[in-house]
Amino acid sequence: MAKIAIDPITRIEGHLRIEAQVEGGKVTDAWSSGTMWRGIEIMMKGRDPRECWALTARI
Amino acid sequence: MTVHSTSSVRAVENALGITIPDNARILRNLISGIQYVQDHVIHFYHLHALDWVDVVSALKADPAKTASLAQSISDWPNSSPTHFKAVQGKVKALVESGQLGPFASGYWGHHEYKLPPEANLMAVAHYLEALEWQKDVIKMQALLGAKNPHPQTYLVGGMATPIDPDSQNAINAGSIAFMKEIATKARAFVEKVYIPDLLAVASFYKEWAGIGAGVGNYLSYGEFPNDNVSNTTNCWLPPGFIRNKDISKVEPVDHKKVTEDVAHSWYKYSDGDEKAKHPWDGETNPNYTGPKPPYEFLETGKKYSWVKGIRYDGLPTEVGPLSRMLVAYASGHKRIKEVIDMVLKKLNVGPAALFSTLGRTGARGVETLVTAEMLPVWIDQLAANIKKGDLKIHNGDKWDPSRWPKEARGYGLHEAPRGALCHWVVIKDGKVANYQCVVPGGWNSSPRDAKGQRGPFEAALVGTPVKDPNKPLEILRTIHSFDPCMACAIHVVDSNGNEIIKVRAK
Repeated sequence: MAKIAIDPITRIEGHLRIEAQVEGGKVTDAWSSGTMWRGIEIMMKGRDPRECWALTARI
Repeated sequence: MTVHSTSSVRAVENALGITIPDNARILRNLISGIQYVQDHVIHFYHLHALDWVDVVSALKADPAKTASLAQSISDWPNSSPTHFKAVQGKVKALVESGQLGPFASGYWGHHEYKLPPEANLMAVAHYLEALEWQKDVIKMQALLGAKNPHPQTYLVGGMATPIDPDSQNAINAGSIAFMKEIATKARAFVEKVYIPDLLAVASFYKEWAGIGAGVGNYLSYGEFPNDNVSNTTNCWLPPGFIRNKDISKVEPVDHKKVTEDVAHSWYKYSDGDEKAKHPWDGETNPNYTGPKPPYEFLETGKKYSWVKGIRYDGLPTEVGPLSRMLVAYASGHKRIKEVIDMVLKKLNVGPAALFSTLGRTGARGVETLVTAEMLPVWIDQLAANIKKGDLKIHNGDKWDPSRWPKEARGYGLHEAPRGALCHWVVIKDGKVANYQCVVPGGWNSSPRDAKGQRGPFEAALVGTPVKDPNKPLEILRTIHSFDPCMACAIHVVDSNGNEIIKVRAK
């Protein structure tokens, strides 16, 4: 029995961590974690709605 | 990325009751369409293929036999023994230099790689060819968007891509011809390289049609609108929700059923973390309670992710090409049904095989082919409008905030290449009062919710075989099959990291 953590998963966009419990050659449980904070929504507050498309595109 | 521009303008147009001109719809369809085709090919070759293809094994291939194999599945011209020998030489030089470049840190030699050396060499050759191809075909988006990525031509009420047959600086007959060339080039590679490779590789890994199903709930908002009604259901790819793998029934989509749960996410809701919120009432208050880095493992019984627990009708739900293709298949979409049935027949498996890691990867290929077939249709629609003198690209009736209501709420449904995306906006006194983006990577990478239900990645991994916990190649196969976009799911800045694998034997 082993617990594995893969962090970061490569060949994707961004940062993903996977933790998995492996027993008898199979995954028996898994947890998916986004390990970085975004917060783009907070930046939109108080802005002109006509410029959100250009700002959120930078996500 | 482009997808957020699309969702954002749609949300504001929906809030303010703006109908866009027909040309704006077509321009947006073309920008999204070429992005589907380019993105999916990049995903297959550059982000996912090396989970199935052993680059180092390609060195053992006989170039002449590789040529026979390639010629037996496609009439693509770059299939001579000389071509494959040259590719093999490039890979050999990388391996001998000890610096594998794009092929560094793979699990080369893993016993779960099953392709013969010749199939590996063929796939590696196409990996390199796809790199060249993708930079050419995305010029369509650059043409319509002024640049790529991050096109500059989106606008609430339409597009800022001028159309004028009499101008050198606008979309004219020359641009139409250029786009047609690109569409032909895009489709040829998909038909003659991607699809044959996908079928060839899949035939060696058919057991993966029984692994990695996940939550079994599938959502598509619908995309490529046929009319200009805000959030229309009249789309080339139909909207719908499939519950618990039941493809005998497609439920209509109601955006009010989308909620975000933070029971296991590092956020704090003002009225308690147990109750999920609709994005119009959404809150983004960070509340990191995890261990201080560097740590060995997260406290998964508590909060453990920056991604919220996104749910549809309270259920963890998968989004992406598989969801779109299942909804289309179950809705009786003629062309998609035809292609899916062809793929299932070639691999000699039934429709249940779609609910799997292999199904996810196959569905993406099917979607690429049918989307590439649609590009000329949209180009023709644009050309027909120009021909009849319709050059309108923007509806400015409600551009001026003095014409807006004091308060308005809107939502902008979009199917990004990676899946369902929606921005929700609340406007008060001409300014954004609240804004929430619920993104494809977020749906699929969701952590558990207040009820303890696993998210799609988590559920898909349960039961996945892992022969060697030190080299968890099989986990990558299932995770990569979703095409995760964590850049969208959670963060603002990017950085490069090396893969770290920690294994603790108990």
